[in-house]
Amino acid sequence: MNFEYQKLDNGLTIIGEVNPLAQSAAVGFFVRTGARDETPQISGVSHYLEHMLFKGTDALSALEVNAAFDRLGAKFNAFTSEENTVYYAAVLPEYLMDVAELWMQLMRPSLRDDDFDIEKNVILEEIAMYKDLPQFEVMDQARALHFGSHPCGNSVLGTNESVSSLTAEQMRSYFSKRYAPNNMVLACSGNVDFKALCQLAQEQCATWDTVDTTRELKDFGGTFEAKHIPNPNLSRQHICLLSPALSMQDPRRFAASLLGTVLGDDSGSRYYWGLTEPALAEIAAMQCESMDGTGAFFSYFCCDPDRAAAVLDAVQDIFTEIEKTPISGAELEAAKNKKLSGLTIGSEQPMGRLVTLGFNWIYNCRYQSVQQDMDAIKAVRVADISDLVQQLKPAKFTMLSLGPNSG
Amino acid sequence: MNNTLDIYQLKNGMVLLGERIENVHSASFQFLLPAGASLLPDRCCGAGSIISDWVFRGAGDRSSRDLIEAFDRLGVHRHASASAHHLSLSASLEAGNLSSALELYADVIGKPQLAAEQFELSRQLAVSELQGLDDDPRHKTMVLLYEQFYPDPFGRPTIGKLDQLQALGFEKTAGLVNKMFDPSKTLFSICGNYDFDAVCKQIETLFDSKSNQGLIEDQPVSKGKHYSHFPSEGAQVHIGLMTPAPTVASESYYEIAAAVSILSGSMSSRLFTEVREKRGLCYAVGASYKTMRDYAGISCYAGTTPDKAQQTLDVVLDQFRVLKDGISADELQRAKVGLKTSRIMQGESTIARSSSIAADHFLLGRVRELAEIREKIEALTVDSVLDFLKKHPFEDFTVVTIGPNAVTV
Repeated sequence: MNFEYQKLDNGLTIIGEVNPLAQSAAVGFFVRTGARDETPQISGVSHYLEHMLFKGTDALSALEVNAAFDRLGAKFNAFTSEENTVYYAAVLPEYLMDVAELWMQLMRPSLRDDDFDIEKNVILEEIAMYKDLPQFEVMDQARALHFGSHPCGNSVLGTNESVSSLTAEQMRSYFSKRYAPNNMVLACSGNVDFKALCQLAQEQCATWDTVDTTRELKDFGGTFEAKHIPNPNLSRQHICLLSPALSMQDPRRFAASLLGTVLGDDSGSRYYWGLTEPALAEIAAMQCESMDGTGAFFSYFCCDPDRAAAVLDAVQDIFTEIEKTPISGAELEAAKNKKLSGLTIGSEQPMGRLVTLGFNWIYNCRYQSVQQDMDAIKAVRVADISDLVQQLKPAKFTMLSLGPNSG
Repeated sequence: MNNTLDIYQLKNGMVLLGERIENVHSASFQFLLPAGASLLPDRCCGAGSIISDWVFRGAGDRSSRDLIEAFDRLGVHRHASASAHHLSLSASLEAGNLSSALELYADVIGKPQLAAEQFELSRQLAVSELQGLDDDPRHKTMVLLYEQFYPDPFGRPTIGKLDQLQALGFEKTAGLVNKMFDPSKTLFSICGNYDFDAVCKQIETLFDSKSNQGLIEDQPVSKGKHYSHFPSEGAQVHIGLMTPAPTVASESYYEIAAAVSILSGSMSSRLFTEVREKRGLCYAVGASYKTMRDYAGISCYAGTTPDKAQQTLDVVLDQFRVLKDGISADELQRAKVGLKTSRIMQGESTIARSSSIAADHFLLGRVRELAEIREKIEALTVDSVLDFLKKHPFEDFTVVTIGPNAVTV
């Protein structure tokens, strides 16, 4: 496994973790842009733009783009978050250069008006789809409540209103400011000829203009508000809690992630014994999300509406206990072993490695091997977790509850 | 590159399958127990959902807490699920912990404690999970669709039915658990980094002495209605539809796979192009092939806002029907590359392969090798796919909708 790096004169970074023994190869563009980089007038534009990149270039129609990917047998897709837009494909090694070239072409799209109009319907359908999925709706609403005026609370999908009123011209303007080579990383993993990929990038991407792109980074503790959104059509109560965690730039984020596992893994965690095992809630999970300059613990509970108060009482007890008494060495070891085996399994396919590789570079401009990640996890001590609990105080949280119970 | 396949049968009939994958550090394994939803007695719908939680609440000498902690110390990622034929207990982990994990699974399968107070908690979780299905209309649509499409008992929802879950007693369910390990119908599969001889010896020691009569399969009866609508106040109408197709054991399997790929394999497929790209009717639309041992079909889901529901259904059904009228050489070539790539990439995932080799063995009585699959895919022609479609036109549809308004089928 070799790490490779090159940067074009216009700022486009190319990185690779090359493994000649792999049976497949993966390649993707990581663009440092997402909902947090939007103003309210263009809410949803990053995600809409992600869809529009598949609509083609001056030389390729949307249908030709889809056929081109499929001719290569590519497993390809894209996703948009609050902070990043990622385009990726996994292929057999012999097709890697072809699929990489296709992505390079698509990164300079036409953004045609007629494609924009048709795709708007698809985006509005996607918004409607998530309205019917309360487990997503509650997270989206809770994120907005927790971050308040901080841009990490912006909705990725936007609203019916913001998407309906968005114009193709607004999108083109956003594109020109955000999809600059110095704001993008081209990453590859698996069985790849890195030199050939760099040569191709030089031919295809060297003419892209550098643009001054900025993102204001500030940490944000949260609003710690509580809100109930009654919905009598739902069967279960969906509850989301957010509290401060650590940013992607903070080296203690591995400890924060382990704290999330100790508290909210689906097996053997504090939530498991306090909520799932006694059948108080059918789902009780916590995840640590480290972001650019900030971070948050997300907890999600799904339970009988009549038990919502009991669930929140039990959670409060769990947080009080962990602030009072350090976790045991055995708890930490179990959390580490779950993380380590997950890392091993997830890294065995080039596609699994690509996303971690790209994000490490996007956030920290550095390469971190699987072994380095494992060493960082192994190095966490019980005292590190105790320090974090005292600093982050998970018992103080923002809460959003969605369901038949109006609170 | 071909991974190496291992196979061994214990004296009690249990079959052990292994596929070694070079250069990985993990192992994934799966126990397929003959206790799927179709094998459960009448009025026990959802028992598998209770059992797959209950057996982990204490086994052998370990209490519920001791057992879960033992799994977590080994970093085991566990999964339990039920299908029509099987209750599946699967795990993935770092290969060095394999032997210890197998010991724990032997207790879970052979010596579950089945405490009465734990039963009530497992049942409560199963009831809650079923009630939660109302808040996931897309998933619910497909559960209802399979129940309508397959002859009973093969379409019985593994998630259960409320009245039956509530009526299930502790003793009756414990009786089912004690019958579920019938070694002559149990499959064990493992993939990744393992020593097959060592695994066989250990499984032989752990399981060989156990024997059970097992559960008896019912005779299937006729299937449900062609169209059912379930009113619900949501943002979308969720449409599920399914049409019969030959099983994976049929001579035409690769023609079916190609047809489904052309219909819905990726973004240049017919459904994505006609429903989403050209008309903007849906965000989510897609079809896939589902096969059991004796029944199979192609199922499709589309979710759309109420005023577009009828047009969406009409366009989807039309795409199924017109496939037999012609496919292009380029469409077939794309389908072939996609099918081959999927199979080769699956070979890099220990989880995917352990599940796949077990499914092959159950459905076909053997595991297909990569070379055979490649050869069959290569041999497909436009004429062979069209011949299949003309002999098996997609005409008979079962349709289920959930949402504010019904459609006309």
